[in-house]
Amino acid sequence: MKDAVKFGVIWVILSAILEWCVYLVRHMFYTTATIQAVDGQHAADFIFYVVTPIFAFVVLMLIFGFTQFRRRRNDKGGNSPHQFRTNRAFVGIWIGVSLVVNLFLFVHPTASAMENYWNQSVEYQKSPNLLVVDVYARQWQWMYSYPQYGIANAVNSAGNGELVLPVDRPVQFVLRSYDFNHYYDVEADVIHSFWIPAFGWKTDVIPGETRYEYAYPTELGSTAENQMFRVQCAEVCGPGHPYMYTGMKVVTASQFSAWIQKQKKLQSSS
Amino acid sequence: MSSIPQTGVDTGRPLTRRYKRMAPVLRGLLWALIGYMVVDMIVAFLDPGPTHSLFNLVSLTFAWVGGVVGWTLGIGTWESVVRPAFGYPMKWKETVGWRRYFEYSTNHKVIGIQYMVSSLGGFIIAGTAAMLMRLQLMDDRMWFFPYSKYYLVTVGIHGTIMMFSVATVFMVGGLGNYLIPMMVGSNTSAFSRLSGVSVWFVPAGILTVAFSPLLGAWTTGWRGYEPLASQDGSGIIYYYLGVFILLMSSLIVAANLVATIVFRRAPGLTWNRLPMYAWGMLAVSFLNLIWIPEIMMTFVMALLDKIVPLPMFQSTGSPLVYLQMFWLFGHPEVYIVVVPALALWMEIIPVMGRKTLFARQWGVIGLVFVMLLSGMVWAHHLFPTQQNATILPFSFFTEMISIPTGFAFMVSIGTMWKSKMRLNTPSILIMMSMFNFLIGGLTGVFLADPAVNMQLHDTFFVVGHFHYTIIGGMVFSSFAAMYYYLPKFSGRMYNEKWAQLGVYWIFLAFNATFFQFFILGLRGMNRWVPVYPAYLRAQNFEVSIFAFLLGFGFLYNIIYIIYVWRRGEKVDENPWQSKTLEWTTSSPPADISFEEIPTVTEGFYDYSDGVSTES
Repeated sequence: MKDAVKFGVIWVILSAILEWCVYLVRHMFYTTATIQAVDGQHAADFIFYVVTPIFAFVVLMLIFGFTQFRRRRNDKGGNSPHQFRTNRAFVGIWIGVSLVVNLFLFVHPTASAMENYWNQSVEYQKSPNLLVVDVYARQWQWMYSYPQYGIANAVNSAGNGELVLPVDRPVQFVLRSYDFNHYYDVEADVIHSFWIPAFGWKTDVIPGETRYEYAYPTELGSTAENQMFRVQCAEVCGPGHPYMYTGMKVVTASQFSAWIQKQKKLQSSS
Repeated sequence: MSSIPQTGVDTGRPLTRRYKRMAPVLRGLLWALIGYMVVDMIVAFLDPGPTHSLFNLVSLTFAWVGGVVGWTLGIGTWESVVRPAFGYPMKWKETVGWRRYFEYSTNHKVIGIQYMVSSLGGFIIAGTAAMLMRLQLMDDRMWFFPYSKYYLVTVGIHGTIMMFSVATVFMVGGLGNYLIPMMVGSNTSAFSRLSGVSVWFVPAGILTVAFSPLLGAWTTGWRGYEPLASQDGSGIIYYYLGVFILLMSSLIVAANLVATIVFRRAPGLTWNRLPMYAWGMLAVSFLNLIWIPEIMMTFVMALLDKIVPLPMFQSTGSPLVYLQMFWLFGHPEVYIVVVPALALWMEIIPVMGRKTLFARQWGVIGLVFVMLLSGMVWAHHLFPTQQNATILPFSFFTEMISIPTGFAFMVSIGTMWKSKMRLNTPSILIMMSMFNFLIGGLTGVFLADPAVNMQLHDTFFVVGHFHYTIIGGMVFSSFAAMYYYLPKFSGRMYNEKWAQLGVYWIFLAFNATFFQFFILGLRGMNRWVPVYPAYLRAQNFEVSIFAFLLGFGFLYNIIYIIYVWRRGEKVDENPWQSKTLEWTTSSPPADISFEEIPTVTEGFYDYSDGVSTES
């Protein structure tokens, strides 16, 4: 009993200290520039808080194994004087708690965050303000077109693909692996993954299928300032995979319309 | 009474006679070369397309079969298996001395050591590949490898050889073959001849994968993802074939271990008394029997897709079908790797703590339910790949599987409570393994959550997570097993000071390396990239330093274990006072482990003798 009380007290203290540490480091996604990234961050924080006491429990047990329950140097004796085959209360609590914790984590944040995410995408689809960006992935480049503005291939001053999004406006990404510049070769392309680290998600681009992904950018940023703002292929797609990234920007509405005008001029001149 | 089957007819001639023939390994290599070339020529001759060279994908596939057959026959199965099967007198006789480890054998202890040594070879090859990867990642541009495809093929070789010849093999084919017959009180395994053949598939498979880049670098990583594989370098066919033969070996091991545990148990060894490690081997072998044929057939399909070629997994077919079929095996594979480790914790802790195993039945239930649930979680590897609407069920089972996995922790912790833990190398390693696997498991809870997974998937966070489960769980436990069973294998004892030096070394280096993988992933480091944004350079540089320390740490432990095996101090037969049957034999065990088959009258984990029991 003495050991159990001692363990319980230390466990509570250790858990509290560790929870405080988690509170300090909780912003583990580094850059969260969309509502979706913030939601993911919240889910991660919540899980972090829940698993920390479990971590503390097992680690403290291991520490007890190393200190409290170790065989002393001069102890040449045989078996431990404490022998028991089971302990109904301990087993019952263990199984009960692990069931409850897992079911609870499934309800929140797993199912709740997914439901939230689906509701957001339904809401964005209805929004008259929705910006549609067609994203084409092929070995080994990203191409962006803005069908609402008649921009077929958005490029920066160097002629490379560039993704520019206005802040505070829902975006629908339409992800395909074929594009307007090439005839469609069924053998040509492979699976890619569209990832913007600052946006908190990624979605694979599957040859022959169309995928949709939604975001609501809430922070301004650009690749030049923060590399978490970049479009990166996250699924291995051959030797060019590490080079399959483009720059991107989240800009204000007025900057965005200026950029659109520039792209239009660029297209008409070519 | 010996129950060794009479595999050889003693012709009465002196044993030395047989050494007139070529050394089996050399003969195997020679026959492999002959088989390879002959079959290649035949196929190239039968299929003389104007565009076909003498070595084309089809002829190289068949040539490989010829090579493996030549290797297997040359290593000794020609005299011992094939000729007797056609009615010729058996001239083969089990060799004695060191030579027996380099040819076909039916002795489960010899086979076990052959598996361990082959697996160790794979560990060193794949570990070297990992070191080369870390060398490249010390800078953010290409500098060590000339082209990124050579980096990617190194990633593939590292993953493939580690998974299929080390993680799946060492504790099952190696320790399982050596220990399981002794643990259940039998002098042989059930299919000892088949087992003697299957062990030689392992070096064949390792070499096939390791030399595959000669045909052209493949960039898919260990998963052979389609449709990338269908347009990748031709070396991918030797990835399929190498893995195929490694899996064939594991499949035979599984059949052998299940049959041994089910049919070869000593009298009185009921299911309620079966040792925990044997339960672990049984669960793992069922997993192997269920899922290995599935992945072997998938690889045959992918191979045909490549060499015919077919469009099965391209956009006119379905790229996702391959991915689903791969992970349908791929996730049970993770538990194939970890279940032996969980079983080993429960095996060693009561012995070292001198305390009765706690809640044994829940430990067994945990192993069995992990086995059952592991087939229902595969698609969590595909969260960003599949449609969002299909994610939740897999998320559910992925979170639920932590419950039976947790039982292994419950049993181990409950046994440790109020024990008299002997803090020696095996028990320290077991506790380290529990610590590492705990981190691996808890980071898995983050990854099981789709909203979090969509950010962390395909980043170094995932790489950190599975290295914590596999190195942290399986490799640390394997080292625990090696230190624990060294006195059994060799009759010699390691020195606590030198062994613990190695153990703390790998623990610190491992955590310093892989804990930072989580941070790298969160900072935006994605997988399969030899070049990466410059802001990640400093941390990658420093992670590489720790990775090299870890590599040398493993090397130190391996060399030290081999040294003790050969030169260590002699020790009693049962230095840990363990009660399981393998410790009732002499150390090292004789060819025939049990002169008389033991009768089991009670379980092996009861330490209440001489102690007044508490309720």
